[in-house]
Amino acid sequence: MAEAAESPDARARAGDLAEFEALMRQYERLVLVTALRLLGNLEDAKDVSQEVFLRLYRNLEKVEAASNYQAWLYRVTVNICYDIGRKRKPSVAMEDVPDPVSAAPDPQQSLAGSERQRVLQLSLRALSEKERAAVVLRDLEGLSTEEVARTLGSSEATVRSQISKARVKMRDFVERYFRRRV
Amino acid sequence: MTCGEWEERVALYAGDDLAPDDAQAVEQHVAECAGCQVLLSGLRESLALVREAHGEPIESGHFAAVRARVLAEIEGGRARWWRFAWIYTMAAAAVVLVAVLWPRGEEHLALPMPLAPPAPAIARVEELKPIAPAHRASAARVASTEPAETVLMKIETDNPDVVIYWIAESKGETK
Repeated sequence: MAEAAESPDARARAGDLAEFEALMRQYERLVLVTALRLLGNLEDAKDVSQEVFLRLYRNLEKVEAASNYQAWLYRVTVNICYDIGRKRKPSVAMEDVPDPVSAAPDPQQSLAGSERQRVLQLSLRALSEKERAAVVLRDLEGLSTEEVARTLGSSEATVRSQISKARVKMRDFVERYFRRRV
Repeated sequence: MTCGEWEERVALYAGDDLAPDDAQAVEQHVAECAGCQVLLSGLRESLALVREAHGEPIESGHFAAVRARVLAEIEGGRARWWRFAWIYTMAAAAVVLVAVLWPRGEEHLALPMPLAPPAPAIARVEELKPIAPAHRASAARVASTEPAETVLMKIETDNPDVVIYWIAESKGETK
């Protein structure tokens, strides 16, 4: 019991806010960046992060018992993003992406700049929520297929299928955008 | 196997998600198929571009803002609890007070129990005329070869409102 009380997690669980803040610092990038990649909107991602950490505070004992903060945080982040994402427009069609050629004085400069950045980020939103979650966790967060499957509560075969479809859709989206610009 | 059927495998190969045997099969097919070579290079390129686009760091101020909001929410919850703590304390004290002042179980048992009215005393017993068996015999009794004799007793008590009529058979069977 004495050893448990010495761990930062136990102190955070006991209500020590400084320790809980340290715990948040440890995992805040994981949560905020994942939420941003899933939702494509920083303010929404911050709302998600807030909710995730409040849930973590309320469930510290349970999460500590599972001894895997990362898996729990990914799972809860994805689930809250699903909830928020369903209230937003579900996907982005190629036609919805503004054509920057007419607006920008130098297309090449624009291509290398924030416009390209934005379009590439939008390519994720052209995916279904399951495909997006699978590809974000596998290709951007670097989780293994097995970890992705566990996080999403799916089989590895399903996740592999979602990832391959998502990659093909992203390629189509990116190619169509850049071909349209030429 | 058509190129369309290879697409899923090629997409997985682009992200190093295939087992060695499957990866080797894809490599052999791609080496011979110009269409799948284009597909593979496009997949790799788009994957790299998307990773690069999403690799942009988030300013530390955003993390700090989230932290501040979470801590404020937790502290706000605690403050709300303390603000109403005196109400909880008073309620708990009231419960304790009621428990202390509440009458004990023994006192409940000591209360006078309602009594049943006393049974009336028998004042007189009178034997009336026997009832003819034919008037009241059941089918079973009719079938019997030796009908029982029925006796009617009138029992008067010291309470004039209570008179007991007792019908008995001579063999001792009470009706």
